[in-house]
Amino acid sequence: MGKIVRLSWANIKKHKLETIALVILISLCMLLMSSSLEGINGLKTIFPNMMKNTESYENYMLITESSYDKEYENILSSDERVEKCAVSELLYSMSTNYLDANDKEQALYMAFITEDNDEKFEKLKIETTLSDAEIADIAHPIYMPYDAEASLNCKVGDKFDMVYGTRRFSFTVAGFYDTVLFDSTGGGLKMIVSDEDYHVLESVLTKYALFAYNDGQGKGGIKLFNEMLDAFEDYSNLDVQSGCIGIVYDGIKSGVEATVDILMKIMIAMAVIIIISVVIMIRFRIAGDIKDQIVSIGVLEALGYTSRNITFSYVIEYLIISVVGILIGTGGCFVISPVLFRVGEIMSGHHMYGSVKALPILIPAAGILLFVFLIAYVRANMVKKYPPVRALRKGLKDHRFGKERFPLRDTKNNVHLRLAMKGFVKNFKQNIGLTVCITISSIAIVFSFIMFNFFSGGMNAIAMSAGMEMSNLRVELMNSADAYEFAAEIEQMPEVRKATPTSGISKMLKLVECNEFMFPMAFRDFKDTENIFPVQGRFPEHDNELMITNLCARIENINVGDSVTLDYLNVKRKYIVTGIVTCLTNGGINIYLTEDGMKRIIPTYSPDTVEVYLKDGVNAEEFRYMLTKEYGRSISDISDDDNSSGSYEERIKAEAERQIADIMASCGATHIEYAIQSGDTVIKGNSSGFVINSIMNIGDIMDTQLSALAKAISIVTTLFMILSAVVVMIIIFILMESSIRRQRKEFGIMKGMGYTSKELMLQLAFRIMPAALFSVVIGTFVGVAAVSIITGFVGKISINMPAVIAMDIVFLLFCFGCAYIGARKIKKISVYELMTE
Amino acid sequence: MSTAVLHTEKLCKTFSSGGFQQHVIKNLDIEIREKDFTVIMGSSGSGKSTLLYALSGMDKPSLGKVFFGSEDISGLSNDALAVFRRKNCGFVFQSIYLLENMTVFDNVMTGALVAQKNSAELVKKAEQLLEKVGIKKECWNKYPNQLSGGECQRVGIVRAVINDPKILFADEPTGSLNSASSRDVLDIFTELHNKGQSIVMVTHDVKTALRGNRVIFLSDGTISGEYEMPKYGTDDIKKRRDGLQDFLDRMGW
Repeated sequence: MGKIVRLSWANIKKHKLETIALVILISLCMLLMSSSLEGINGLKTIFPNMMKNTESYENYMLITESSYDKEYENILSSDERVEKCAVSELLYSMSTNYLDANDKEQALYMAFITEDNDEKFEKLKIETTLSDAEIADIAHPIYMPYDAEASLNCKVGDKFDMVYGTRRFSFTVAGFYDTVLFDSTGGGLKMIVSDEDYHVLESVLTKYALFAYNDGQGKGGIKLFNEMLDAFEDYSNLDVQSGCIGIVYDGIKSGVEATVDILMKIMIAMAVIIIISVVIMIRFRIAGDIKDQIVSIGVLEALGYTSRNITFSYVIEYLIISVVGILIGTGGCFVISPVLFRVGEIMSGHHMYGSVKALPILIPAAGILLFVFLIAYVRANMVKKYPPVRALRKGLKDHRFGKERFPLRDTKNNVHLRLAMKGFVKNFKQNIGLTVCITISSIAIVFSFIMFNFFSGGMNAIAMSAGMEMSNLRVELMNSADAYEFAAEIEQMPEVRKATPTSGISKMLKLVECNEFMFPMAFRDFKDTENIFPVQGRFPEHDNELMITNLCARIENINVGDSVTLDYLNVKRKYIVTGIVTCLTNGGINIYLTEDGMKRIIPTYSPDTVEVYLKDGVNAEEFRYMLTKEYGRSISDISDDDNSSGSYEERIKAEAERQIADIMASCGATHIEYAIQSGDTVIKGNSSGFVINSIMNIGDIMDTQLSALAKAISIVTTLFMILSAVVVMIIIFILMESSIRRQRKEFGIMKGMGYTSKELMLQLAFRIMPAALFSVVIGTFVGVAAVSIITGFVGKISINMPAVIAMDIVFLLFCFGCAYIGARKIKKISVYELMTE
Repeated sequence: MSTAVLHTEKLCKTFSSGGFQQHVIKNLDIEIREKDFTVIMGSSGSGKSTLLYALSGMDKPSLGKVFFGSEDISGLSNDALAVFRRKNCGFVFQSIYLLENMTVFDNVMTGALVAQKNSAELVKKAEQLLEKVGIKKECWNKYPNQLSGGECQRVGIVRAVINDPKILFADEPTGSLNSASSRDVLDIFTELHNKGQSIVMVTHDVKTALRGNRVIFLSDGTISGEYEMPKYGTDDIKKRRDGLQDFLDRMGW
């Protein structure tokens, strides 16, 4: 054994640089694989621990107060699939903002609940650094989910300002807690406030009845959820589904794990790429080494070493390299894993209870050793083909009778290019390995680049695939307001470019084929839209036409021209699918139909939302403030107005507005005008100030919901590209190193003839270019196809082909550069030494 | 007297290894004349090959200068020396050093194309030269390991002269050949010399040295003596051999 290890060690010392490169690759592979497995392992602890610590219910259903009936609880609890249930209430709005550190308003969906109501469906365990006395001294304490700490950078004792319309509500952060419902900035955060503050907010935000129930860890699933909604509607004849918010067990689970899970899987994919490259490199290195050292092998055999001894010396050489790589990778894993755990906590918004375990390290280590052992053994076994005499005669003489490729007599311009092509053909087998490595890496690079390009292009690129109008402001009107009148009125404003009435998201229609409730996007004429593009087919034009999303089309295999059924409160209507739209928002569950199409299923339908497009240079936030002030008054505003002071006329007006607000809220009046004569003065007014229910800044919402994801994807894809490039670089370096070693004599002769080092470096670099070019072309096709397939369900990720081609060119230049620099050792070949050796 | 195509000034070459220095060439001044067939002789370790490689720009001197015409080539970079070699020098080696993975014809063209652009004339010239040295057409697409040593060396000579070098350097060109092949190869050298090719050849073989018209004897890194002869074939071969032998005896050969 000792003699075999000595042989292995001698070989390692001989190929120091290649050995170091292989150690780096194996370390990287080990690091990525073990860290991601540790991460996944830790990630798996989040959900069960979260459910256990919070003693939370498994499913949640939020129904607007107006659609609520007490009997729902009985209907829910009487279903045999429901194990237990609870009812509570909370306030929720998608039009809330908060002030960030720079006092700038940022969109954030928020729910507010009292401590008592929260404890009805989960065990509240608050983490705070404040004492009870200190908390008692806080005027408006607020407790936030963990994600607020990680994503909004809130700390105990910080001020937190919630903004709704023109009103600001100030709180002081008193602590953080783990929760299942509204636990992330993406879907919204559930804040626990005092009873007094809750009552104040009650007058502003929409109140929801909250049904929480267990169904045997998701056994009922979305089916039970939908059936319950149907049952509620059947019982009450109210539109329960519209405005209903729900989350089921599987949704909670995937919501916690999904993003980090993707990150870990990308890391594993990267590790697989590296291990494939390593295996290919080892295979070709052993083959090359045996050919190079065939005489030495013959000498060893003559000295009494068996071919088995020599085979195992190769196997042990690579096992030693692998063990060193694995040890370095494991060390890295201990450093990276805690970082990944923290990333997991930040991205999931929950605490991770994992620690570095042995198994995620042992499994990849064993896998790498097994792979390396197998490939080294199989390849090194070719030594058997060379008994001593044959080995001493340098194996079989390299007789060639095949057709000569690229004869120099046909050289057109550049002899170096031609010699490079000759070299490429001569080393064809080796180039197959290189091609496989570069192809895999270029697939990874192209895929990452497309994703990077898409997500780093700011919100504009994402907005293009949003599947909804990306107006500056989305104004939801009071039920009583006429959207067309309002749109016409604000279109007169100098700041406004266009105002288009639409349906908003207050009503949901069930697409029977999917058994899914969809958000209808209704426009009188889709030509008025600016950001809804059918990727197939055309816009709906008639009342029996609609468009569906890519996701829906793929999952249910619905095509343009198919007929689908919409269901609203048991009224069913058939529609023809005229187009398919890419939709990255609302979970891809939008449908697009004309106003007449909406009226066909909801005869009383009228648009209740206006998309407001501002002129260039107009500040959306300032305009929103102005609009709210002008049209967005509510009963709560009026009740808060202190009008005990002021002139007689002002006090009359204030009282009149209070009456208007009251009548609009209680009687559903659409328009009220008044005129009061006081002496010679007539005090006039109308209800125009009570038109707006809420205003959403779409850009801000997109930013809050998607910018973190876009940033994460940009970072991950950048890392992926860098890692792939590093792998390619190392592989090319190893290849150049071994090529130069093998062809040292040939290069020496050529130097003697007058070829300069630079020319020979160019030849070597050009030699890999056909393989690199082929790989990049294949990598681009596969990468683009992979993006289309993977993202096809959500929507069509726009691929900037010129940018991809430019990136391909850069990648090819990178390969060329690596090969050129990797070939620099040619400079060290001394013609004189070669001639006199 | 023909003009000097190459000369050195106080040329020194020292090799260092493990703190030990060996001065192989010591303050050597030598002049290589145009159209001469200069033979460098000397005992083993006298510095013959070292001198040849220093003269040809294959290696850099440790001290002193090498002038090609009026151009000092001793200070040139490795790449500049490579360009110098491709323009001015041809080499024939004892170990032949053909590129084993290229055909005979490509071996010749590899040498040609580094210095000049491909053209029908160049291909024709390569073909003519190969034919002239007795490499038949059917061998042109063969690989070196399919030829005999003598054939390979003839290909090596064609590769060396295809660019019409100003000087042809040869390091023991017949060292690895049998006597028949050696004679063929030397005949080629003689023919080249007769056509005006400047040749510098290192050898320790008297028969080979007879082909030259000037013999320089090196001893311990310095020139111990020099002997001039008429062109080969223009005098009596016996007298020529005796004369050279006499010179070599005086030099302590």
